[in-house]
Amino acid sequence: MTPGKFTLDRRTMLQGGAAAVGGAALTASPLAGAFADTFPSRNLSVMVATREGGGADRNLRAFWGVWKKYLKTDMEASFYPGAAGRVGYQQYMGIAKPDAYTLLFGNMGPETLNWVVKKPSGFDFPGDYIYFNRVDVDPSCIFVDAKRSKFKTIDDIVAEGKKRTLNVGVSRIAHPASLGVLALGRHTGAKFNLIPLSGGKNTYAGVKSGEMDFGALPMSGTAKRHKTFSTMLIFDDKTYSDGLMKKLNNAPLVNRHFGMKLPPLVSARAFAIKTEAVEKHPDRFKILEETAAKVFKDPDYKAAVEKAKAPWELIRHGNAQECADYAKSIMAIGEQYKDLLSGKA
Amino acid sequence: MSVEPSPDGPGKKSLGPDLIIPVGAVLFTLYYFSTIIDSPWTAQVSAFFVGAILLLLSFVFLAVTGLRVARGQADLRMDGLLAPRSVALRRLALFALTLSYIFFIDRLGFTITTFLFIFLGMFLLSGWQRAKKRLILALSAVLSVGGYLLFVVAFQRRFPEGPFEQLFKALVASTGGG
Amino acid sequence: MDEVGLSFFAELFAHTFGFWWVIIPAIFLGLIVGAIPGFSAANTIIILLPLTLAMGEEIGLVFMVALYCSSRMGAGIPAILVNIPGTAGAAATPLDGYPMTKQGKGPQALAISFVSSTFGGLLTTIVVLFVMPYVAQVVYYLHSVEMIVVMLFGISLIATIAARDTLKGLIAGFFGLMIGAIGADHVYATPRGTLGFLELYDGVPLIPALVGLFAISEAFLIIEGESILSKKGQVLMRDAKWAETFEGAREALKRWWHIVWTSLIGLVIGVVPGAGAAIASFVAYQQSKTFSKTPELYGTGHVEGLVAPESANNGVTSGTLVPLLVIGIPGGATAAIMLVVLQFHGTTVGPDLFIQKPLLAYGVFSSMAVTYVLMILTVFPLARYMSRVTMVSTVYIAPVIISFTLVGSFVPRAYVFDMYLALAFGVIGYIARKTGYHVAAILIGVILGPLLEQYFLRALKMSKGDIMVIFSSNIGNVLWVCLLLSLAVPYLKERHRKRSAARDALRRGEEAELGGTTE
Repeated sequence: MTPGKFTLDRRTMLQGGAAAVGGAALTASPLAGAFADTFPSRNLSVMVATREGGGADRNLRAFWGVWKKYLKTDMEASFYPGAAGRVGYQQYMGIAKPDAYTLLFGNMGPETLNWVVKKPSGFDFPGDYIYFNRVDVDPSCIFVDAKRSKFKTIDDIVAEGKKRTLNVGVSRIAHPASLGVLALGRHTGAKFNLIPLSGGKNTYAGVKSGEMDFGALPMSGTAKRHKTFSTMLIFDDKTYSDGLMKKLNNAPLVNRHFGMKLPPLVSARAFAIKTEAVEKHPDRFKILEETAAKVFKDPDYKAAVEKAKAPWELIRHGNAQECADYAKSIMAIGEQYKDLLSGKA
Repeated sequence: MSVEPSPDGPGKKSLGPDLIIPVGAVLFTLYYFSTIIDSPWTAQVSAFFVGAILLLLSFVFLAVTGLRVARGQADLRMDGLLAPRSVALRRLALFALTLSYIFFIDRLGFTITTFLFIFLGMFLLSGWQRAKKRLILALSAVLSVGGYLLFVVAFQRRFPEGPFEQLFKALVASTGGG
Repeated sequence: MDEVGLSFFAELFAHTFGFWWVIIPAIFLGLIVGAIPGFSAANTIIILLPLTLAMGEEIGLVFMVALYCSSRMGAGIPAILVNIPGTAGAAATPLDGYPMTKQGKGPQALAISFVSSTFGGLLTTIVVLFVMPYVAQVVYYLHSVEMIVVMLFGISLIATIAARDTLKGLIAGFFGLMIGAIGADHVYATPRGTLGFLELYDGVPLIPALVGLFAISEAFLIIEGESILSKKGQVLMRDAKWAETFEGAREALKRWWHIVWTSLIGLVIGVVPGAGAAIASFVAYQQSKTFSKTPELYGTGHVEGLVAPESANNGVTSGTLVPLLVIGIPGGATAAIMLVVLQFHGTTVGPDLFIQKPLLAYGVFSSMAVTYVLMILTVFPLARYMSRVTMVSTVYIAPVIISFTLVGSFVPRAYVFDMYLALAFGVIGYIARKTGYHVAAILIGVILGPLLEQYFLRALKMSKGDIMVIFSSNIGNVLWVCLLLSLAVPYLKERHRKRSAARDALRRGEEAELGGTTE
């Protein structure tokens, strides 16, 4: 959370309402000034597919605080939570003009899985929008209550899962962490019953209360709560610094431990833009891409991230190609489990 | 929570308005069922249970009402809904005004639309002759600008913008404040 | 925690009182945001986050706690005066609060609400301070199966409300439950009954429902008269002095035992993550009526009908912070945001907090206690003046209610759609009131329906569809028996009353006959 600077920005963030957002940002307001040759000549508008005050908000504030230095403009953020992000995407695709002044900020992992379960209406993905600037990755993990759980390792969990069905608390079914648990179950023969608890907070509560045998969520949260929860398995193919790994209970990586070939199952926040905007204004898109990339090398950004208590090593820039590859891989594995994700099994 | 008595006399009740909720409930429940017919059982179980009871209750109510109408104890006139007659027109006008309020707030912004709504609403309810015009004007101005200052300036909520909000923003920007 | 003694608490309270300059403004801010539907302690803290974060850990925490406690009380004020609950947690408050206002007892009703909120809150805070680790155990025992029964306790209030016209009451309640079932299903997110609106995927948002059913429909009804008060009420309000406020306080204090047990219901329900103030106040109201000697007076402006929900929802406030501090799991939305603020200051919330920063951990509850003390001193005298609002002509009140509550329904999600939705609920509420369907029964359904479904599906999913899972827990089964008893008690009592009345009548008749013969 970055108070101070951002507060001032928010004062100007006076817009709301579906049409108002697109309209106010896109019609030349008295404040916007005349169109100039340089991009951007007025404020950018960012539509966020989650609630104000959440992780994405925090992430966006930290990133924007530095990005605006390079873009030399301000941002007006608006939040469209609802239907696991679907509302935000539908609104963005519905009202944003393809002029590169309106961007979307979302979580590629779970939000791409939305389209696997139920196709979007009125647009296509991949195709009609592209993710172009990933700001972080947060690999999924399996965790238990540090004090009360009888499981000490992931092998204990798998062994028990072969004897009886284990109840697994997850944020929701269409989530990379849930996919990881399903894949692990299919690979090892252990029986896991996914129980969606709507959100990370409830998932921690479900595991803590003992109602769930274990939980699966992005790992930054369990690292932060390492005194309460022990991480058992990480769905990623690389390890992290000693400090972070210690907070993650030095949990094994899924592919190495079980000889599996899963892609990293991560939550990854990224900016997105309409494909049409890229095609119409390749010059503007180039400016966005290049300036965004500079943010990651800026020490101010590192300071902002660390102030928000997020692990710096999970901040990983990804360009449009990397984002596309990731979305493709998560959709491919989503397709494999589509029946389980949509309850049609 | 009053059932309006029928103007026909004490013996006969107008039950038409009483049917709106159960009939609406039946229609909505049937529509709801149509949306979950192909869904996984988790989407169905609770709704089928609640919906079945609601349908049952509504049909019992409809049957009881039908019986009373058949026996001549009640009729199905709808006139109780907007009664008393003296305010019916004002009520409909207030409803139309409210609908326009929502429609225009998105276009004219919070402050101007709220001002107009409160102003016209108070006028409508008090009647042109009896209206204390200055008081109403002052109240509308104070409440709409006060609302703007409270919601938008103090609490920084993202309310729909219009000319007033744009102007205020421009003023703040030009004075270097914010 | 063993080394913490009385002298520690004395010092702690003295220390907390030193923050009066933060607490008093927070109390007034809380009253305002609590009273406007759409605003709540949780979203106000989010809005003021930059300020809270800049404050420093301890002051920030004291500020948030004070705001939280007073917003709960603030929500009751419009519920009592104009039949508009400021938040869902105050949805049971108008049941008896508003009839009192109409009778011209606005100052008394507000005083009752203030006293019950304050004492309920204070009492549960003190209870929590001493038995916190034990109270937190509730989390380990109330799982989805048990919560199903707790929800049914709340939903059974529909039957209680329906007492006067059973069929209509039940239709209203089940209609509410059906509306509450709109939205994506809890497991596979299949959209259901959304009428094609993406905005309804997450279910029917509570504030527009609350605003529509209570506020908008009320505004369209009150224009039938010049005043919301009855003729007698207008006379009483004109003459109202301090005596009325003190009378309210006396009435509430006379029922101290009622405050005690209903606030404890709130405390226990508050501890369970996700349960919340609405369910607690419904359960408290329902239980209060069940065990009352005068159940027939509920809904007509009965003191106990106002005491119960108001002390229960403040009991919840104390409860939601317990799991946050003891096991690091927030009990509700406001607690979750407090967690964010504490984390920003580098404090890890959880059991270790009591060892690492005992002043801070216990400070949460001492700030609560001090807030309640300061709250009664500052807010109580205002009851008399606040209730004057009921004297204003409906010509002025109705448009203001409509515009400000509609705007309030816009606030949580910033969708203009939600304003249309509130108006639609306003129409439903208007029709319901005109035709004798209870809007509170509809609202209970809308609020509790999704919660009940969520726990029910979770239990079913865990048992792989075996319905018998709802009887699979010992605590759950005890609760089932209690539920059946609480549903049966009113009928048994009524039967007993009728029988003894008949016996009395018979005896009196015999005596009269006897008397007649001897004469």
